[in-house]
Amino acid sequence: MDNERFSAMTDKFAEIAVKVGNNIYLRTLRDSFITIMPVFILAGLAVLINNVIFPLVSSGEELKHLQVFGNVLTNGTLNIAGLLISVMIAYIYSVNKEFKNPISTVVISLSSLIIMMSSTVLVTPDGSKEAVSVMNSVLSFNHIGTKGMFAGIIIGLVSSMLYVKLTELKHLQINMPEGVPPQVGKTFSVLLSSMITLIIMGVISAFMQVAMHTDLIKVISTLVQEPLRQVNTSLPGYLLIYSCGNILFSLGIHQSVINGSLLDPIMLVNMNENMQAVQAGHQAMHIINSDFQTCFAQMGGTGLTISLLLAIFLFNKYKPYNEVAKLGLTPGIFEINEPIIFGLPIVFNIPMMIPFVLSPIIGACIGYFATAIGFIKPLFIFVPWTTPPLISGFLSSGGDWKVVLVQIIIIAVTTLFYIPFLKISEKVAIRTYELDVQSEGKDE
Amino acid sequence: MKNILLVCLSGMSTSLLVQKMEKAAEKNDITVRIWAVSEAEAHNNFAEADIVLLGPQLKFKYKEYKKMLGEKPVEVISIADYGRMQGEKVLKWALSILG
Repeated sequence: MDNERFSAMTDKFAEIAVKVGNNIYLRTLRDSFITIMPVFILAGLAVLINNVIFPLVSSGEELKHLQVFGNVLTNGTLNIAGLLISVMIAYIYSVNKEFKNPISTVVISLSSLIIMMSSTVLVTPDGSKEAVSVMNSVLSFNHIGTKGMFAGIIIGLVSSMLYVKLTELKHLQINMPEGVPPQVGKTFSVLLSSMITLIIMGVISAFMQVAMHTDLIKVISTLVQEPLRQVNTSLPGYLLIYSCGNILFSLGIHQSVINGSLLDPIMLVNMNENMQAVQAGHQAMHIINSDFQTCFAQMGGTGLTISLLLAIFLFNKYKPYNEVAKLGLTPGIFEINEPIIFGLPIVFNIPMMIPFVLSPIIGACIGYFATAIGFIKPLFIFVPWTTPPLISGFLSSGGDWKVVLVQIIIIAVTTLFYIPFLKISEKVAIRTYELDVQSEGKDE
Repeated sequence: MKNILLVCLSGMSTSLLVQKMEKAAEKNDITVRIWAVSEAEAHNNFAEADIVLLGPQLKFKYKEYKKMLGEKPVEVISIADYGRMQGEKVLKWALSILG
């Protein structure tokens, strides 16, 4: 393909990405997740301490007492994930919309989420085998926790949108006479819009419960969360979406535009469910989750560039590349690879773009099959994405060396994969340099 | 004193560049405040900044930032300078825009 057509194509691609990235809903989603991430990382730590460290030092009744520590932390983090995301969405949406009273949106969103919940909850009393139906006196972690994350997102977003829209209507604003303290005036000005929003939510909820014998939380988790999960976290679906993001980054646009909003929410639901399962004494069930990406598909940052750095250090003699690799190593160990992506460069450099996009696919496939055949277990402890390679595998599996071994295999295979492309890229770079020198010579 | 704000997606890779720029400023006896934030927090920092610099991976946000910032200068750092973490070059470039 000639250069002109290539650049026209990338421009078009970038243009679409801009539209996606600037979409207020996707941005709200992405920023909300970034904001509550620390809480889930803490949950990972709590699960690690409860299920890996405490059993080493204690057992029996004493262990149970120690584990209360992890349990309460899980309650305040994973088990209210849906609640947390719904208020965060409301807040960030208001900010993105430049709505002047974001905290009032948070109130509406929180109320709406609870309004949408079934008023009867099944609970199993201590010591009993049968579940009892309880009405109007408990809030179930089942609804506001991990299983309710999508409901939290959707209800948070819909109630905020409706509320913000209503406050814009002149007829619904009650203006207080002068002399009324501003805070009081602020409350009154949103009074009608708040009430109308919540009444609408209430009517929908009551109708669903009485006439349809269901509730919105249940409907959203079965009709939205589950099908999305089927598509996004099947191996082909994941690879397709994730690779789109990586192609974007090879064109200089941060991949979170795609991955942050399409993959992260589902991967995090999977991650949280894995953590919850282990915390409850079961085995983790989802192979593809947030850690899966950190540990197998993104070591050293997007494009598995830790392997590229190794390939350069071990097999490369071209000086400019070695310089960039030296500069990129320390941040690269902590999964930050902009220096190498823009410095080598990988962006707009066709020979390097190919392994940049394909290496994560190789890594993800190796990680997936190693888990699917039972060599390793699904990862279950949420680690920050900045956790260095190998340490990430060790931590996220609760200390399983076999996961580290899988990571070493992935790094070895992808390092070899990077080498031929590195050689081509080097030749191109040298040739371009020579041509530049020649043309400069002519100019003079 | 000039205030230079750097923005990238999570404020991580730009913070590397901030370090290099600060070193360059110290070396050249320039008093300047340089800091990096994530895209999500950027709007809270606009008021304090004299100039906003975007990492090249956020080039697609340029128009939006331009609109949000009005008169205040906003620029995208060049791919080559960013990749090579040319603190001194970026600092001088930013100061030259501020005049």
